[in-house]
Amino acid sequence: MPVIEIDAQDAVFDCAPGDTLLRAGLRAGLGMPYECGVGACGCCRCEVIEGEVADQWPEAPGLSDRDRRKGRVLACQTRPLGDARIRLRLDPRIEPVVRPARRTARLAAVNDITHDIREFVFRSDAPADFLPGQYAMLALPGLDRERAYSMANLPNGAGEWHFRIRRVIGGGASEALFSQLAPGAEIGLDGPYGMAWLRTDSPRDIVCIAGGSGLAPMLSVARGVAAEPSLAGRRVDFFYGGRTPADICGQPELAALPGFGEAIHYHAAVSDADAAHRAGWSGQIGPIHQLVESTLGERLGSAEFYLAGPPPMVEALQQLLQLTHKLPPERIHFDRFF
Amino acid sequence: MKQLCTTRDVPAGGCHRIELADRPPLAVFNLDGRFYVTDDTCTHGEASLCDGEIDCDDGVVECPYHQGAFEIATGRPAGAPCSIPLRIYRVEVKDEAIYAAIDETEAACP
Repeated sequence: MPVIEIDAQDAVFDCAPGDTLLRAGLRAGLGMPYECGVGACGCCRCEVIEGEVADQWPEAPGLSDRDRRKGRVLACQTRPLGDARIRLRLDPRIEPVVRPARRTARLAAVNDITHDIREFVFRSDAPADFLPGQYAMLALPGLDRERAYSMANLPNGAGEWHFRIRRVIGGGASEALFSQLAPGAEIGLDGPYGMAWLRTDSPRDIVCIAGGSGLAPMLSVARGVAAEPSLAGRRVDFFYGGRTPADICGQPELAALPGFGEAIHYHAAVSDADAAHRAGWSGQIGPIHQLVESTLGERLGSAEFYLAGPPPMVEALQQLLQLTHKLPPERIHFDRFF
Repeated sequence: MKQLCTTRDVPAGGCHRIELADRPPLAVFNLDGRFYVTDDTCTHGEASLCDGEIDCDDGVVECPYHQGAFEIATGRPAGAPCSIPLRIYRVEVKDEAIYAAIDETEAACP
């Protein structure tokens, strides 16, 4: 098994066959920087000083021309071919709370959520061990690369993993799930990953903002708040932004939580005004960040934020929170998928 | 304008962190004899840009943790995962002393 040394950081770890530098480092409990794990965000860039490696996605969008000029690789896309020495900066603040592990999981149930989002329930023999808000890498039959999907449920000893996946026409992964996978089918499940997990030690009110299939991790965070005794009575404002009224979801699940309507509040907005009028939508119309700002008012500055959704939504929220309202980045939790 | 340091404190191609009371730290950069002042903390996460790598040819500083990057002169994000501009400050150099307009309202990112 290749042994990987991190230059000048006094860290050494084993890399199991087929593992990437990133996943092997995380399995060893190291604070390897990353967000998306799928080659898009660029957070896990590193340099290989010694040893041979294979880059499974040389064109990954997470690398810029300057990175390539400097000989950098993405730890999430690089497999060592033997012992190697790499250079990156470990961050002890982000050491994994739950170390990721590979499992086999079987499709147990499929439920329709909206016209294009379905819930896929998988079951593994080992417990489903993760923090609310995290994601797993799914190896689906017929696809060359794994895909990252967030869990919507809470960690559990029964080995249940609930994913909410949006059907993307022509999207290989969602097509594989929607049309080819039958109950009982086996997939590879590797996790948990991700930095946008519920901070139970924060004393602040909690704001979850979701769009698209970002519903899943935000539901997990809200469910995690409701299930955590030390957070009893904590205010949660849950926002969901969709293009049309048919896209709006999440309220029934939140309404099932203790404290809904008192401590836990649901807000939704639709961005396509024409579609809203056609459907007789009587709720808010506009981008979700506007509803966040007008609803929270003074409370915005003192809350802890969790975000998951399409990149333009996350971008607009970052502008609102960091630039307009000067929130420090440590209070805004999201994993960047481009 | 507030004096932050002298030109001797900032090596060519390097930077110097300035800690001031009641505000986040600043970074003073020296790109081939031209001096620039920005916030020192990366807009993506809690990291000091003065611990990062400076690329003089591109006029860019890279965050030490994720190698996200900013243009030093403009504060514009120049590499993922950074997307929020870095705050920059107007600079004057008089008799080797470097001053910055740290109380001015934020200049829009060009």
